[in-house]
Amino acid sequence: MRQRPGLILVLGFGGLLLLMAAAEIASLLLLNTLRQNDAQLQARFLARNRTLEQIRSNIYLSGTYVRDSLLAPEATGARAQLAALDTLRKDIGTALESYSQSLEPDEIAPFQALRSEIEAYWKVLDRTFAWTTEERNKNRDAFFYQELVPRRTSMLQIADRIEALNEDALKRGDDKLGAVFARLQLGLMAMIALTLLGGAGLAGLTIFHILRLEGEVQRRLEESVHAQASLQELSAKLVRAQEEERRNLSRELHDEVGQSFSAVLMEAENLLDLDPPAQVRQHLEAIRGVAEKGMNEIRNMALLLRPSMLDDFGLVPALDWQARETAKRTGMRVQVSSEVADELPEEHKTCIYRVVQEALNNCARHAQASAVQVAVRSESNHIMLSVQDDGSGFDTVRVRGMGLLGMEERVRHLGGTFGIDSSPGRGTLLQVNLPLTALNGNGKNGKRSHTAG
Amino acid sequence: MENVRILLADDHNILRDGMRLLLERQPGFDVVGEAGDGREIVELAREHHPDVIVMDIAMPNMNGIEATRRIVEKNPETGVVILSMHYDESYVLRSLKAGARAYLLKDALKAELIAAIRAVAEGRSFFSPKVSRILQEDYVEALGRKDADDSYELLTDREREILQLVAEGKTNKEIATILNVSLYTVDTHRTHILQKLNLHSVPELILYAVRKGIIS
Repeated sequence: MRQRPGLILVLGFGGLLLLMAAAEIASLLLLNTLRQNDAQLQARFLARNRTLEQIRSNIYLSGTYVRDSLLAPEATGARAQLAALDTLRKDIGTALESYSQSLEPDEIAPFQALRSEIEAYWKVLDRTFAWTTEERNKNRDAFFYQELVPRRTSMLQIADRIEALNEDALKRGDDKLGAVFARLQLGLMAMIALTLLGGAGLAGLTIFHILRLEGEVQRRLEESVHAQASLQELSAKLVRAQEEERRNLSRELHDEVGQSFSAVLMEAENLLDLDPPAQVRQHLEAIRGVAEKGMNEIRNMALLLRPSMLDDFGLVPALDWQARETAKRTGMRVQVSSEVADELPEEHKTCIYRVVQEALNNCARHAQASAVQVAVRSESNHIMLSVQDDGSGFDTVRVRGMGLLGMEERVRHLGGTFGIDSSPGRGTLLQVNLPLTALNGNGKNGKRSHTAG
Repeated sequence: MENVRILLADDHNILRDGMRLLLERQPGFDVVGEAGDGREIVELAREHHPDVIVMDIAMPNMNGIEATRRIVEKNPETGVVILSMHYDESYVLRSLKAGARAYLLKDALKAELIAAIRAVAEGRSFFSPKVSRILQEDYVEALGRKDADDSYELLTDREREILQLVAEGKTNKEIATILNVSLYTVDTHRTHILQKLNLHSVPELILYAVRKGIIS
């Protein structure tokens, strides 16, 4: 499906270009032919005209020769004229022969007439050659005016007619060329119109296709942005829900389960107070021991889930506790320095606490650090956190564990920036900057009425 | 000697009942009332003027630390014993700042509870051994971490003596009498002690003393 519009476009544009090239070549060839035809036509016309002209002038000339021979006082003079006449006769024959090579259909009849007329003319002339001087003197006027002149006139008329026909042929040839040219013009116009139409169609198709693609891209982009946003929203919700659950669980463990253990302790004390027999006392001591152990475990569990100081006293006591716990557990030296306003928004407090917790875990678990410095400072419009360790460091480009991603995600939910500067053998510096806006001045989850105890 | 008049504040009925039973069996103790939340205990304290209040921290409406602050503010003679599941120093320090004089964990033995009530009734401080131990451990840990030399060495013998008396809850006047010096001298010593140890209040000083094992 995705290949097809592209193929259509390639075929369309290729076809259009081929069409244009073909039209151009055809036009050029046709124009060339036209020009050649025109030249041929002109050359033919001129050649035929010249031949006719020659025939005509020879006829005139023959008349002159005949008259001169008729008027010649002696036979020798007449014979000389007749010799010249003979040459003319041959010339006319040649001319007639050459003209007959390229006869137009409607010229055939007049041409035949001309030819027979000329034949007859020669025959009449032939008669005079045999005349004696007396005969010439006696018949010449009558022959000249009654035979020769009318025959000459008739021949010339026929020649004129043939000339007219020749001109007609030229005109017809011109007309034919004109028609061909007009056809060419029409063809060219049709081609231009076709090309324009095709081009416009293709352009339209292309624009339509591009617009559709653009729309598609826009839609996909919006979809992906939307999907990403809802994914982020979901993950933020999950983080909040998880935190809320931890808080509730921690409080529940601490307040309810822990207190129940302490009630058991108290009751055991009361029973011990009644001075029971040694055996009972032993069992009561055992109950006491179990309850005490349970209480300690519940307390630790609750603290690990979410330290109550975070909700009761704020970020700094919770960080101090976390630092002490980590130090006790791992032997790392953890130093916390803080300049933090008392009231941080709930989500910011939790975010910083969890980031520090994860960072300390990483320091102990992966970095084998011996000392960590945690610094938190809050100003009017943002909170800055840095965690610097002297551990093994890592390649920040290659390593991107779930812990780091989780921290970054938490920070990004609150519109903050998260940066890690580390390289193998050089320790790790983690930096977080969270914006504090007037809007989240008080966290939505900041239920501070109840202090976990 | 008059009976010690005691109020109990805890949101768990079973625990309160058990405690009342335990304390009422003790000669010289009178449990004069019980409260289930912070506001209630503040009201009861105003009504009964007890010698001692045994107070939980985690309570609905108002927590034990805030209730302590309000009660001690009105009546500084009232001795508050905090009985909590928390043992982190942030809870201990805040309780002390609010005016509590004793801090016990809820797994405390009967003997500890009784000792604490007697101590605060006499105006002294009391910390359960477990709390002291944890605070001391944390402190040692912190010292190790910060590579700080112990400023306790900077104190003179007399200052150490006064530090202990202050931490035990003695007033300046009592200390002056015990040591047979003027009130002014005691005051000067106290100021010096706070400066040398880089502390800012008596509760911090008490916490310091507990951490150092000077008092328990």
